[in-house]
Amino acid sequence: MIGDHNVSSRKATLTLKISEFEVPPMQDMLIIGRKAPIGPEAARRMAEALSPEQFTLMKMDHPKIEAVLLRNSLLQMIDEKLLMNIILEEAERMISDSMVLRSELKIAMSVQREVDLL
Amino acid sequence: MKISEIMTTSAVTITSDKSVSHAAEQMKEYSTNYLVVVDHGELMGIVTSRHVGSAHPNRIVADAMDEPPMRMAPERNIWDAHRLLHEGEGELLLVMNQEEWVGVVTKEAIQMKLAEFLDPLTGLYRAPYILDIGEKWLEEKKPFHLMFIDVNDFGLINKQYGHPFGDDVIRSFSSLLSSLMEEDSDHVCRYAGDEFILLTTGSEEKAQRWMEAIIQPAEIYKVTVSAAVGHIDGFREPDFFAKTLRDHIAKASLLSTDAKKKKTSLAP
Repeated sequence: MIGDHNVSSRKATLTLKISEFEVPPMQDMLIIGRKAPIGPEAARRMAEALSPEQFTLMKMDHPKIEAVLLRNSLLQMIDEKLLMNIILEEAERMISDSMVLRSELKIAMSVQREVDLL
Repeated sequence: MKISEIMTTSAVTITSDKSVSHAAEQMKEYSTNYLVVVDHGELMGIVTSRHVGSAHPNRIVADAMDEPPMRMAPERNIWDAHRLLHEGEGELLLVMNQEEWVGVVTKEAIQMKLAEFLDPLTGLYRAPYILDIGEKWLEEKKPFHLMFIDVNDFGLINKQYGHPFGDDVIRSFSSLLSSLMEEDSDHVCRYAGDEFILLTTGSEEKAQRWMEAIIQPAEIYKVTVSAAVGHIDGFREPDFFAKTLRDHIAKASLLSTDAKKKKTSLAP
């Protein structure tokens, strides 16, 4: 028997993770569903406030996707229509109209040339 | 009837960065179905209870509002406003004096006003409707065809077959005339009793087609009924724009009386 009164203790474990905050908190693009809690204009304003003139908002005529917010530099490397076709084709497989998808898109160019030897 | 006569000049405003849920609260607080969206004095759009009901509450107003909102000058007539809202499937429009916002007109206010001009027997608009359109076209120097239609022997029909049958005749003619309306440039009204007026800015062929259809005797409950038409061709009429619509209606009415002399007589 332990004595006349009970003894108890509480302890907490604190876990701290630190990583770099991306500005804006998105990578190369956001794909915004028609009923998403963040609409295209709010996403555009966020990107514009944090990274002025670096993103372009493209409204879509699509049943689930309302708009795509895209880093401008991507559009300088690849044709807009071609890029959007690829994005929509892949995104519509997993997006629902209430989601916002964040996506990373890297374009790497591979070149092989044949030249005459001296 | 100008839209400035039925517009609301005061409206509750909201900025586009507010949340949809805040907009809903504002609408409830001010007992209104819409808010005008204004940022730094600049008009941005309109958010309505429909937008609020269909958008996620966390969205900002900019992502839920109508943009750009439908606009119209205060001197335009309510029929134009009605047509614009009907085509655009909108609920309200902003009344703009140049770039200055002066009021709001709701679809409900327009429908209530238009109901005052509806003829209960036929569902067609009454005379003020056609007067408004015809006068506007004359003012704009836009040529048009005007047809004054008068049912033959209507008094006799009422006397011989009774007023309920007379009402059937009027309804039957109204249906025929309504069925001829194809485009926004076509308009019809019940002018008075057994008289109707059609207006169209359409072609000569269309006007001829209409007249052939109208003067064709129709059988209603085994009674053959016909109508006379007085036609003013605004594309050919001398000094068409120098005359008033009242002059044109008076002339068309006399022409229909002349046409009655060649009428198909009432036959059981």
